[in-house]
Amino acid sequence: MAEWMEFERRTRPGPGGGPDGDDESGPARPKVDRPDTRDLLKRMRRVDPNQARRYRQRTGE
Amino acid sequence: MSMGRIFGIETEFGITIEGVDKMDVVEESMQLIRCYSQGDFVPLWDYQLENPRKDVRGFEVDELLNDLDEKVHLQQDRQRKIPFKELKSDLIIYNGSRFYNDHTHPEYSTGECTGLFELVAQDKAGERIVNICAERRTKALKAGEVRIYKNNTDFEGHSYGCHENYLMSRQVPFDRIVSGLLPFFATRQIFAGAGKVGEERGAQAPIYQLSQRSEFFEVIASVDTMHKRPLVNTRDEPHADSERWRRLHVIIGDANMSEFVTALKVGTTALVVDLIESDRLPDLRLRDPIAALRNVAKDQTYQWLVEVEGTPNRLMPSVDVQRAFLALAQEDYAGRDDETDWVLRSWEETLDTLEVDPLSLVGTLDWVTKKFLIDSFCEEEGLSWENPDHLFWMQSQDLEYHNVDQTQGLYYLLESQGQFRRLVDDGEVATAMAEPPRGTRAYFRGRSLEKFRDEVKSINWDRIVFGLNGRHESIDLKPMVDSDIARQCNDVLDASESVAQLFDSLKKIDMHAAVALT
Repeated sequence: MAEWMEFERRTRPGPGGGPDGDDESGPARPKVDRPDTRDLLKRMRRVDPNQARRYRQRTGE
Repeated sequence: MSMGRIFGIETEFGITIEGVDKMDVVEESMQLIRCYSQGDFVPLWDYQLENPRKDVRGFEVDELLNDLDEKVHLQQDRQRKIPFKELKSDLIIYNGSRFYNDHTHPEYSTGECTGLFELVAQDKAGERIVNICAERRTKALKAGEVRIYKNNTDFEGHSYGCHENYLMSRQVPFDRIVSGLLPFFATRQIFAGAGKVGEERGAQAPIYQLSQRSEFFEVIASVDTMHKRPLVNTRDEPHADSERWRRLHVIIGDANMSEFVTALKVGTTALVVDLIESDRLPDLRLRDPIAALRNVAKDQTYQWLVEVEGTPNRLMPSVDVQRAFLALAQEDYAGRDDETDWVLRSWEETLDTLEVDPLSLVGTLDWVTKKFLIDSFCEEEGLSWENPDHLFWMQSQDLEYHNVDQTQGLYYLLESQGQFRRLVDDGEVATAMAEPPRGTRAYFRGRSLEKFRDEVKSINWDRIVFGLNGRHESIDLKPMVDSDIARQCNDVLDASESVAQLFDSLKKIDMHAAVALT
């Protein structure tokens, strides 16, 4: 039998850590409507322009 | 309280190795799965219970359709010396999920969930697990870096899926399921689409589409999933008592990075399934659902008009089609449970915002956020949609949005900056990597393997075979789709110190005591 990978087990957060809690206001918008793009653009410039040209997959379901 | 319906998500990931000239995707997908286990692979998955060729309309097809490209690949695959079970490399994880090599794509299928946010955590756990395996595989390789993408296309016409599953009553006539789902599915992409740079079929126009998958659907209903894909898949594999249950196998959706979209996509669809079961559907028929699906994805005006049958036919915004379903769901299900109320509130507010200012949903919807990233990049770099080289660069950014490496992917860069709305925290995702959903048979599956792994001889969604007193004895998991039976069985499993004790204790549970369907 294989030795199974063991992942760290953590205690589930309490009620306050879940989605929205008892918030009645519906989906809150992110705090910033338009993110600061400086870091984003810096990261995007590092993406190889030809990455998608090389990316070839076989048909799946 | 949770929504209560059993649902799950299966995701086929894209895989590549950066830094090498050639890669064998079949071999690499298999090796990636093997990286989960630290020792020898022991095949446990039981394939006897699977038959994807069986159609809910009462027949079985001789074979499933494939496109020409795939037929060539399959012919080559038949020359491989690797046995089928080795190639598939099926694993069952302690969290109740299935992780395996499906058609050259690593696939992670969550265990059965009844909670919406529980499902989001399980889905994200799959991303983390696949990424850990990619890191391990990269270390094992002499050259190159394995990269995993949770997307649905290679931008060259090869699509792979992110499927949803919903257990529903067998008593519902299939025609009602189809007529209820078509207008909903054709328009759901206005919030559920993952966004795509370019068009892969037809005119191959340099446009931004709402959805990765919409242009790959060609027929209304069929059992196929890889060629001539249907809006409504008719595969008849309930993994439960087939007299009582259907498994609605939804293949039309995109793989979502946004936790909010995953929850909204599954939550709204579960509510529509509720409406279908209750025969409470809006009086809406699309004149051509396939054309509507494609046109909505490509509409650059964001009016998303679809043609609705009537006297005469009329054009209707997709937002209003969705509102027709929302109105009935609000009427029938408001106040039923916390998660349903969350879905109803989120659905309404999202549609309202899509109507007046869709691009303000940056950090909430995948397609809007990706568009914001692409537009910002194009403006900064002076890129043109008409320049083919520039389009490849944009598609490279599109791809990178879906990179599941939290230190690399564009989605994760936004998330790390607190710019993306989250529904679960990292602790809950880490827990979901090892802990099965407590209230379903996924718990029984995952915990059985964890407690008695040396005695487990084979396993599937709906059966576990144990070795007991020199014989093979099976436990049928089908009755455990009933939540009360699942709870009793899970409690018995927790209390059992041996397989023999487990079998003895299970005999005391009335497996046929499920609440009758209304």
